[in-house]
Amino acid sequence: MFSRTQKINLSPIKQIEILASKIPDVVSLAQGIPSFDTPEVVKKAAIKALNKGSVAKYSLTMGLPELRESIEYALAQEGMYYDFEKEIIVTAGSIEGITASLIALIDQKKDEVIIFSPSYTSYAEAVKVAGGKPVFVNLLESEGWGIDFDSLERKINSRTAAILFCNPNNPTGTVYPKEDLLRIAILALKKKFFILSDEVYKDFIYSDPLQIASESANYKLFSLAQMPEYRNIVIRFFSLSKAYAMTGWRAGFLHSNEEIVKEILKVHDSLVTCAPVISQYAAMAALDFGGEEVKKFSKEFEERRNLICGRLDDLSEYLSYQKPNSSYFVFPKILGNKNSWEFALDLLEKAHVAVVPGVAFGPSGEGHFRVSFGRSKEDIDEAFRRIKAYFESQPKPILKIIPKKVKVHTLN
Amino acid sequence: MINNSLKKIVQFKLKWLAKIYLAENKPYVIVISGTTGRIWLKDKIIEALKERSFSFGANKKNFNAEIGLPLSILGLPGAEKDFEKWIKILWKGLKSVIPSKKKKSPDYLILEMAIDHPDDMDYLLSIVRPNAVILNGITAIYRENFESLDEIAAEYGKLIKALPWNGLAILNTDDQRVKNLANNFAGKVISYGCEDGADFKAFDIQKIFDGQQFKIEVQKKEREIFTKKINRFGKHHIYAELVKEVIKDNFKEQQKEFFGKILDMSTD
Repeated sequence: MFSRTQKINLSPIKQIEILASKIPDVVSLAQGIPSFDTPEVVKKAAIKALNKGSVAKYSLTMGLPELRESIEYALAQEGMYYDFEKEIIVTAGSIEGITASLIALIDQKKDEVIIFSPSYTSYAEAVKVAGGKPVFVNLLESEGWGIDFDSLERKINSRTAAILFCNPNNPTGTVYPKEDLLRIAILALKKKFFILSDEVYKDFIYSDPLQIASESANYKLFSLAQMPEYRNIVIRFFSLSKAYAMTGWRAGFLHSNEEIVKEILKVHDSLVTCAPVISQYAAMAALDFGGEEVKKFSKEFEERRNLICGRLDDLSEYLSYQKPNSSYFVFPKILGNKNSWEFALDLLEKAHVAVVPGVAFGPSGEGHFRVSFGRSKEDIDEAFRRIKAYFESQPKPILKIIPKKVKVHTLN
Repeated sequence: MINNSLKKIVQFKLKWLAKIYLAENKPYVIVISGTTGRIWLKDKIIEALKERSFSFGANKKNFNAEIGLPLSILGLPGAEKDFEKWIKILWKGLKSVIPSKKKKSPDYLILEMAIDHPDDMDYLLSIVRPNAVILNGITAIYRENFESLDEIAAEYGKLIKALPWNGLAILNTDDQRVKNLANNFAGKVISYGCEDGADFKAFDIQKIFDGQQFKIEVQKKEREIFTKKINRFGKHHIYAELVKEVIKDNFKEQQKEFFGKILDMSTD
C-alpha cells in the first residue's frame, strides 16, 4: 500500500508556508504568489458568467471552445500555430497539464524524465506521480545558471521519456537562449524523447542595460513551440496564475500536435473532467482584455527586482546572487555552504522570514534559498531588514566568495 | 463593464450616433456571424479588402454586441465603468456625425455580430442593416440561453432576412442549418465549404508539418481549381481562406463603385 505515494513529498514550499502560518508576524517571501489581485475585468467576466448560469455544468473536456479560440488567437500573436479544436487543452493550472502529459508519456520502457537542477520543486514529484524517475541535470551557476550540455548528454539514454523544464526558469530567473533550446530539440529528435516546456513566466522578462544594448527592442522569449518542425515532440504549458494574478483560479492550458494532445486528453479527462468552468470564463476575459494589466504587473515586478537586488547587494558579505532577467524569484547563495533547510528553518524561527530552501529545487540548489519578489515592496523591505539583522547576529562566514558577474544570454 | 443605469444611457446614445453615422456615410456593411470562427474570417476579409486597396473599418476583438458594435461602427474605444471616459467617447461619437467635424469614413465596415440570448439579433439589427452576411457555422457554444441549435439558427436567419434585394449571403454549406437559411433569401447566395455543391469548395486537404495544403475549386462559368498552402492548422482556417477568395472574387474595384451607386439609389 502507498508504495508510490510514499516516495512523493509534499512540496517544501507548502511545508514552509505551513510552518510560517503558525508565526504571527511572519513575512513570507516563500510562495510564488503575486501580491496583486485578479484584474477587475476578469472578475467581472466571471461574475457575469456566474449570474448567467453558465458555470454550473461541465464544459467540454478540452475546455470552452470560445476560450480555446481565444488561446489559439493569442498563441498566433506569438508565432505559435495550433488548432483550437484539436490541439489545445484548457487545464486546471499548468501543473495539472504537466502531470497529465507525464502520465501519458511515461511507460515501462521509457520512464526517465530529465529535470534541470535547480528548477520548480513540483516537477520531480509530478514525475513520480506519473510512475517515472526524475533524473537531474545540474545547471551551471558560474554560467548564469546555463545548461551543462555535457552532463545532459550523459544522462540521456534509451529510457529517457522526456525533458521537462521551466523557461524562464523558476527559481533562477534564467532565460534559456534560442541556441540552447534548439540543441535540446535536436537531441530530442535524435534520441526520441519529448520536450515539456513550461512557460508560465514568459510575460515577465525584464530589460537589462547590457541586453538592451545588444538586442535593442526585440526582447522576447523564444519558444520551441514556434518551430513547426518540432510540433511532434514539444508540449508547451502556460498558466494564467502568474501573468494575470490568478493563482487561485487554477486555469492554464497546454498545446501540442493533435496526436499527442489526443492521448493527454484521456488523462486530463480522468483527472479533472474539465478545468473549473468559472475559471475558464475568467481566463477568456484575461486573454481578451487583460493585456494592459500584465504590462503593469511586469513593470512593478521589475521595480521590485531592482529593489530586492539592491537589498541583496547590501548583504554581499553573507550572500551572492545572479540578477534574474525574468520571473519574480531570486536564488541567492549562502556563503559558507550552509545547509539550506537548516538555514530556512533557522531564519523562520529567529527572523520570522519565510524563504524556500534551495535543495527543494534539486541537488544543486543546496546552499541557496529562493525569495519571491512577487510580494509587495513593503514586505520585501521588512523581510530584508530582518534578514540583515539575522546575519549580523550570526558568526561571520569562514569562506567568502566574490559575487560573479551575471552572464547575459542572447535572446532571439 | 459599466453599471446598469450608465450602461443603458451609453447604449442608447451610442445606438443613435451609430445610426446617424451609417445614414450619413452609407458604408458597405459586411456582417460576420455564426457561433465560431468569426475572428479568423474577419482577418481574412481584411486581407482581401487590403489586396483590393479598399478602405475599411472593422470591430476589435469582442466589440460585437450591444455596446461594442456601435463603438466599432463609430471607430471608438471602450471605457469600462469610467464615467468621465464615456463622456469623452460620446463627445467624440457626436463629432463623428457632425458634417463639418467628421473624418473621411471607410468604404467598407466589417462587423462581427455575437448573440447569446434570443432576440439579441433584433437589437443589433436595429442599429445596423447588413449589405452582405457571412455565416460560418452553428455550434452549441451559446446554447445555455437557447432551447436548441435550431433556435440559434432562427436567430441567424434574421440576419439573412435583413439583407436588401441586392445583398449577398455567403454561407458555409457544410453546416446543414446554415445551408437551410439560403431558402429564406431570394438574392445572391454564395456557398463555401468542403462538401460537393459549394461554389467555393476546398478539397484534397492535407496536414503538412508546417500547416495545411488544399485545393480550392471555384464554380463559375469556367471551373477554376488552384492549390493553396497555409501555415495554420484546423478546418476553420480553410473556411477563412475560402471566404477570402469569395470576397476577392465578388468585391472588385469597379463593383465598389457599382455598390455605392446602388446604395445611393436605394436610400434616395
